[in-house]
Amino acid sequence: MRVMGAHVICGGLTFDEVPVELREKVAFRDAQLPQALREVRRMLGLTEAVLVSTCNRVEYFGTTRNPDEAARAWPEFLRQFHSINDNFSALSFQLRGVACVEHLYAVASGLKSMVVGETEVLGQLKDAYDIAQTQQQTGKWLNRLFQSSFAAAKSVRSRTGITRGHVSVGSVSVELAEKIFGDLRKCRVMVIGAGDTGERTARALMRHGVPSLLVANRTHERACELAAELGGEAVTWEAWEEHAIESDIMISSTSAPHYVLTREKLEALLPRRGRRPLFLIDLAVPRDFEPSINLLDDVFLYDIDDLQTIAQKHLRERQTEVTRGLEILQPHVARYMAWAARQDDPPEAADFPRGVITA
Amino acid sequence: MHDHLWLFLATLGYLASAGWGLYALGSGRPLANWWTLSLLIVAFAFHTYFLHERGEAIGHCPITNLFETLAFFSWSLVLTYLVVGPAYRMSILGAFTAPVVFLINFFALAAPVDWPSNVPHLGWQLELHATLALLGFGVLGLAALAGVAYLIQERQLKRHALTSWFYSLPNVGRLERVQERVLFWGFAIFSAGAALGFFIPHAGPSDWVKIAWSAVVWCLYAALVSVLALGRLSHKKTAIFSVAGYVFILLTFWGINSLSEAHVFPHEG
Repeated sequence: MRVMGAHVICGGLTFDEVPVELREKVAFRDAQLPQALREVRRMLGLTEAVLVSTCNRVEYFGTTRNPDEAARAWPEFLRQFHSINDNFSALSFQLRGVACVEHLYAVASGLKSMVVGETEVLGQLKDAYDIAQTQQQTGKWLNRLFQSSFAAAKSVRSRTGITRGHVSVGSVSVELAEKIFGDLRKCRVMVIGAGDTGERTARALMRHGVPSLLVANRTHERACELAAELGGEAVTWEAWEEHAIESDIMISSTSAPHYVLTREKLEALLPRRGRRPLFLIDLAVPRDFEPSINLLDDVFLYDIDDLQTIAQKHLRERQTEVTRGLEILQPHVARYMAWAARQDDPPEAADFPRGVITA
Repeated sequence: MHDHLWLFLATLGYLASAGWGLYALGSGRPLANWWTLSLLIVAFAFHTYFLHERGEAIGHCPITNLFETLAFFSWSLVLTYLVVGPAYRMSILGAFTAPVVFLINFFALAAPVDWPSNVPHLGWQLELHATLALLGFGVLGLAALAGVAYLIQERQLKRHALTSWFYSLPNVGRLERVQERVLFWGFAIFSAGAALGFFIPHAGPSDWVKIAWSAVVWCLYAALVSVLALGRLSHKKTAIFSVAGYVFILLTFWGINSLSEAHVFPHEG
């Protein structure tokens, strides 16, 4: 491998080494990024620069002839830009050449995310790259590197199960609802009780297109509050069974010591619903829906343990796909390094004077 | 006959398509891509060419013995898939169609059922009657395959056991809609074919074995479609009865056709 690749570097702070209370001190708001980019490039002596700031990582990507100098300047840059006293030297990492290329490709593919396989990071990288490009802080090295990382990420996502399966109770519920009904825009949801998990699940469903939502709670005022927050409608506790007939998805999280919905009660309601499937999400402990309800045709019942088990299984499956993902990235990394080796002009040392930030 | 080669090639294509489908379902790889559909279309083209060659050779619609009838039977199933699959964006059904078609063709090729026959002119009414009935079976077959897909997906949802099939199969809502619509179409086409049989003039005794069998099949599906139309049957039971109906057809079809007097023709030589 020619020395060329070694000039591409990256470094920074990530969630696996740095706790959130420190990461939040050095995160960059979108509005700060243009100035931060100019400063990081100047202080670290980079000829090209991209600055990535997400809730899980604050990282720079750049090209330089002097990586050691960049590593030394990074903590100082953070201190000066954010006006803080913390020293991030020991917590910061730096990777060079092929290791840097592998790192970016793995990050873009979601292989290094806290929730393995999450897709949000790819959008965040694209945004960071767009800003750097708009600010004319990138050149052929980083342009090629980032654009190829997006293609590499696409390849990993399409050829592995890295993004398959959701990993939270809310998103697993949405996934199941979509596998039962398909289009959630025609579904009606009823929330029984006003527990936090129930609220989060209802929000997740609404984000995926559920147009109408009813809330029933023993305390009607609380039902009204939650309905107002979610953009739904409150119904009285006494009337929830009548409204349940019209619902396609029922989320329950009451603190009732007994079943709120028994099999007998549901069997009496089902003929009035026609042949529409019913998805019941029981988030309560003790449970609100009698478990034998799941034996009824066209009724799908999941309790909190079922949902958590699925989420954990998905997470394990995603983690087993990481190795496959890294293997898929290798030809992409090799292509970039081969391209880098063919270039005649190594990244020049930055012409910027290094010094304190003049905000 | 040399035309067996075309059916053999078609059957190989269906086998490859079935193999890929099962592998893709198991491994979670995407099922629908241009080459898998192309493979099925090429196999269907060979299959069609076989029927054309055989039809030209015998001067009839190629349904004069059990071999030809099975080949036509499986052809109608693929034809229905090629129409319904894209129309309902249900390419997944190809993974279920190909194995069944392969098995039917394999049986047709392997069993000694291609008796040379000396059939008198059948007449357009008889040919249309048989063709519609077989096409109806093809459509009912696809409804049953959609039912199988529904039952697999429903079982995974009920048991909270989400395998790679869970991600490859469509949502149960779509499967039940396709299954039920195709079931209605299949019943309508089969009914039209069966009804036409009453208007065909024939000499000699009636083929009571086949008439009784057809009546049983028609009554089974008529009951299923009626209960379905009345909204009295759960989606799961609809799928189970649809699959059971088609399994009944598959298991009895060859026997009935062997016993059927109307399709027993004198062997040449």
